[in-house]
Amino acid sequence: MVADPILYVALPLITAFLLPLFGRIHKELIRIIPGFLFLFLVYNSIVLLTKVTTEHQPIIVQIAGWAPPIGINLVFSSFSGFIASIISVIALLVWIYSYKFKKIEFDNALKYFVLIMLITAGSIGVVLTGDLFNLFVFLEIVGLSSYPLVAFYRGRDGAEAAFKYLVIGNLASLFILIGILIIYSQLRTLNMADIAAHIGTMPQKLKVTAFIFLFIGIGIEAEMFPLNTWAPDAYSQAPGPIGSVFAGMTAKAGIYAMIRLLYTIFDFSSSFNLLLVMGIITLVVSEGIALRQSNLKRMLAYSSLGQMGLLMIAFGINTKAAVVAGLFIIFNHAVIKSLLFLSGSLLVYNSTDKHIKYTHGIAKKLPLTSLLFGIGAFAIVGLPPFSGFWGKLYLLMATADANMLGLIALILAVSLVEIVYYFRVVNGMYFKKAEDEIEIQKPKWNAVLTMVILALAIIVVGVYPNIIKDYLANAADTILDKANYIHTVLPSLAIN
Amino acid sequence: MKKVLKIKKSITMTEELMQQILKYTLYGGSIALILIGIYGVLMKKNLIKILISLSVAESGLNLLFISVGYVMNGTAPIFSPAVVDKNVLMVDPVPQALVLTAIVIGLGVTALGLSLAIRLYRHHNTTNIDEIRNLKW
Repeated sequence: MVADPILYVALPLITAFLLPLFGRIHKELIRIIPGFLFLFLVYNSIVLLTKVTTEHQPIIVQIAGWAPPIGINLVFSSFSGFIASIISVIALLVWIYSYKFKKIEFDNALKYFVLIMLITAGSIGVVLTGDLFNLFVFLEIVGLSSYPLVAFYRGRDGAEAAFKYLVIGNLASLFILIGILIIYSQLRTLNMADIAAHIGTMPQKLKVTAFIFLFIGIGIEAEMFPLNTWAPDAYSQAPGPIGSVFAGMTAKAGIYAMIRLLYTIFDFSSSFNLLLVMGIITLVVSEGIALRQSNLKRMLAYSSLGQMGLLMIAFGINTKAAVVAGLFIIFNHAVIKSLLFLSGSLLVYNSTDKHIKYTHGIAKKLPLTSLLFGIGAFAIVGLPPFSGFWGKLYLLMATADANMLGLIALILAVSLVEIVYYFRVVNGMYFKKAEDEIEIQKPKWNAVLTMVILALAIIVVGVYPNIIKDYLANAADTILDKANYIHTVLPSLAIN
Repeated sequence: MKKVLKIKKSITMTEELMQQILKYTLYGGSIALILIGIYGVLMKKNLIKILISLSVAESGLNLLFISVGYVMNGTAPIFSPAVVDKNVLMVDPVPQALVLTAIVIGLGVTALGLSLAIRLYRHHNTTNIDEIRNLKW
């Protein structure tokens, strides 16, 4: 079978728009076809990743036969391929989980799967594209398909959360577009490698202005602190699996765009400190607010923002060890947060306000789901033998290498806060008596399968971190080696 | 003879002045539109007005894009033998393509926002965002 980076974007888009027609043929097809699609995307990732790692050379696709910098190109390097693979695996798992989602009938199921496929296409597009304007278009695809998913249930306050998200997201795209405009007016090119090669010729003032606009715009997508007020509302109002879609897919696309912006496109050395400071603020504020939450899903959402802060810190330190740690945390965040969102939404399934008190004593009624939530909680705070431990350990080691001892103390202190609010929930689940009875939602076999796969991934990577660490070190090299990126995308330019 | 030259010179000077004015009006006007739009998004309380402000800001940005790609006295960037032979100036086609895309995206976002506004209105019976505050920190 063929494997090509272009299929990542083209197949989900075509399938998404043809899905209503398949629904006409047979109603069950709208649930089955997305699964085959995501399965194929995972297969695609495996084939391309092995190819990239054996050849040590990124795969570059020119769309419509126009060579860059004129045409649009897709770059599948070991870094962008890693994130694209995570996105496709999470998409497959979300499909397995929501294959028999109780509240979904035919019409709603159709919308749900179409939107999830569009989000997949958009997020992978953001990750693979080598063109700045194309990045904006894919970010808009992600946005336009996540607003309706947030407003999916009519009964909840979804429309309010979606409206907030829409306004903020639209402002973000406005800022990104202004940044692109300033760059284009100076350099007359939109190709990232071409911009990166010529960014030095731009006047300093305009360069700073463009950087600030792009930083704010992409910061909104990457859930950076003062701009992330939309995220908890969106996470908590969307259907349960969508929480893991946001954590595992759209947030990954946002942080990817941020890394490209800082490491490839611009050449400011102080921009890393900016990201570091924003990451610290995001981490501290989000974990502080998470401590005060009484709504389980909002608590998970704030904890997810805290993890994004941790990621920004890792990429703000800007050493190879820190980048490896950052990539490890990207993996952890996608896997562990998905497990937490999926199992957590089952724990409070039938309550309207998703209050934590409903989880009290639930371990007797839902032993497996509680156990899986417990594994997720222990993993995200960084206890061994789970994968979260290694992510934090590598980050702390990288911080120590960079001689930022205050930062180590800060990360440890914040981890303590994390332990407090996660253990409060786990403790309540196992050792407290139930106060308010809610109807228990037994997980179906497909939901259990998804969560067990995620938990196994957490434990296996936790016991043998080296199975992905070597690969991540390779990917970190591709992030840091800017000249190589320019050279591989534009071979003719490097000769001059 | 001298007088004619003088008049011609003054005509070209006025033309240049007009072109400068045109340029600044284009840039200034579109930036003003963007600022008006952002002001509206941040300060207005009405759902519909917020969406209108977003559209205004977007139009301003589109105008700015077109102005950046505009070349004085340039024609439409369509290749034909007649145009290529005469070495006519053409405006930059890339911003126009980008603006087309941006307009389509803006249309989608506005339509989606309006449908959300309708649903919010049915649910809360108001379009004032101060009264729609079920979600908070």
